[in-house]
Amino acid sequence: MNSTAADETVAMDSDSISLMEVCGLHYRYASGSPVLIDINLEVSAGEIVALLGPNGAGKSTLLRLLLNELTPESGTIVGPLLSMKSGRVLMGYAGEESAHFNSLTGIQNAHFFARAAGVEKDEVSEVVSDLMDLVGLSDEADKVVSSYSFGAKRKLLLLEALVHQPKLLLLDEPTVGLDPISRDALAHILSKCSQEGSAIVMASHDLNFLEQLADRILIIDKGRVVSSGSQAELLSSLGTATRFQVSVDAAAIELPQYFGDNVELVDDSGPLVFETTRGQAALPDIWAALISARVKILGVEVREPGLAELFRRVTGQELPE
Amino acid sequence: MKLLVAAMEFRLALARPRLLALNVMVPVALVLAISLGGAPVFHAAAVYTVLFTLFGTFGSSIPLVRDAESGLFGRIIRAGVPRSHFLLERAVGGSAIDALQLLPALTIATLGSISLNEWIRAVLVLWSSVWIANLLGNLVAAVARSLAETALFSAVAALLLLHFSGVFRTPSPQSSWAVVETLSPFQALHETLFAVLVGTSTEVPLGLVLWVLVLPTVTVLLARPITRSLRATRDG
Repeated sequence: MNSTAADETVAMDSDSISLMEVCGLHYRYASGSPVLIDINLEVSAGEIVALLGPNGAGKSTLLRLLLNELTPESGTIVGPLLSMKSGRVLMGYAGEESAHFNSLTGIQNAHFFARAAGVEKDEVSEVVSDLMDLVGLSDEADKVVSSYSFGAKRKLLLLEALVHQPKLLLLDEPTVGLDPISRDALAHILSKCSQEGSAIVMASHDLNFLEQLADRILIIDKGRVVSSGSQAELLSSLGTATRFQVSVDAAAIELPQYFGDNVELVDDSGPLVFETTRGQAALPDIWAALISARVKILGVEVREPGLAELFRRVTGQELPE
Repeated sequence: MKLLVAAMEFRLALARPRLLALNVMVPVALVLAISLGGAPVFHAAAVYTVLFTLFGTFGSSIPLVRDAESGLFGRIIRAGVPRSHFLLERAVGGSAIDALQLLPALTIATLGSISLNEWIRAVLVLWSSVWIANLLGNLVAAVARSLAETALFSAVAALLLLHFSGVFRTPSPQSSWAVVETLSPFQALHETLFAVLVGTSTEVPLGLVLWVLVLPTVTVLLARPITRSLRATRDG
């Protein structure tokens, strides 16, 4: 991508430069109930931060606060991006809505948003054309947007968020509507943006996508950050143990003490929860121990260590498929 | 100023040829029906004024609320177009397109009873009036929360100003209403059309000049609350 007005501002080519700092942010809707409670977040150049949380946790609201579209009840959002006159244009945003000028072509839409964001007239055709290729929209560039599929509109939306090479890119569910090829292409583009010094904050339920890209993850539940850290830190807190959750007949008799080597019964208050470092190889031993104790097994769930399991443990909820 | 939004208004108009044709043909059909139907001059001038004014107000407010509801308005502002530029450029593009679309109707309405100079003057008054109507549409859109409300408020606001402009009254130059009419935005359009139809001349349109200058200033001053209100349309 070519340089834009963003490059005329303070140089931000070092990865350690903080672009935005959020301190003690509280937000509530006019109706009264709190949406975000004491959010603290620092975003540095080149960093990819993922916001993970159930629906209604406050992720999209946090993105809109970062965009300065909502006014917090208390707390501050500061940083060099916001102190610059053209701060808004240094950010790119792709939200849930993919509204476009439907009677115009994809390329006309992209040109408009590029020019609005400060891309110079003599650069815009090249920049847009390159991005059309990257996101896989070249064949549809000259078609009117009203004829686009949902996925194509989402690609165009992402293109328009990226077109001015923003210093901070805010993405809300960026993989919704994308096929696997486009999803991989997006991961590649975001990775490249990050390497070039852009910071990315994205809210997503797509765990594979987050695992692939995120340097840091904030798990938000009921408006609070309930866990945060690098992916490695968060996953190490889970250990390397695989968990089995075994539903049994409540009328079962006494449980055995031994379930196999390196297998531990960690919770028997409801469904039996076993932890093992042997992975799924331990399952036959557990199965055999329970059957020999005449325990009636109703069902088994396997939980491998990963973001999904981390999310479940921290929030007590399953992520939507 | 890059005039991106004004240029986009033209692109959008050209991209919808059916709507463009309808916007030319419907006023022409109405004007033809009135001028061929032998309506009294005073009534004909009043109907043309109402038609042209509502054309500008509705044409501005309804697409703006529709774009606010779809999220497009928010996206444009977020992309970096300054709020006041957006509102003013929309009115620049919208009023120019409205004036061009109404030109055939205006020409038919004034056919045979007008010199070239008078016709040019009438076109300028029409353009200025639809500029005011477009800016008025922006303000109305900020108050409305749905397309139905937008239509209602556009009609009420425009008709009220048309009433203050003396369009629905018999002129009484000695009354205090005459002052109100002079300072109202659409008196000039009504007076110009009436004068053309009866073959007389009009005075300097003080109210028109005033509103042409004041309404953009008001728009710039209120750009932030207008934008906030339009965003709230989407948030419900």
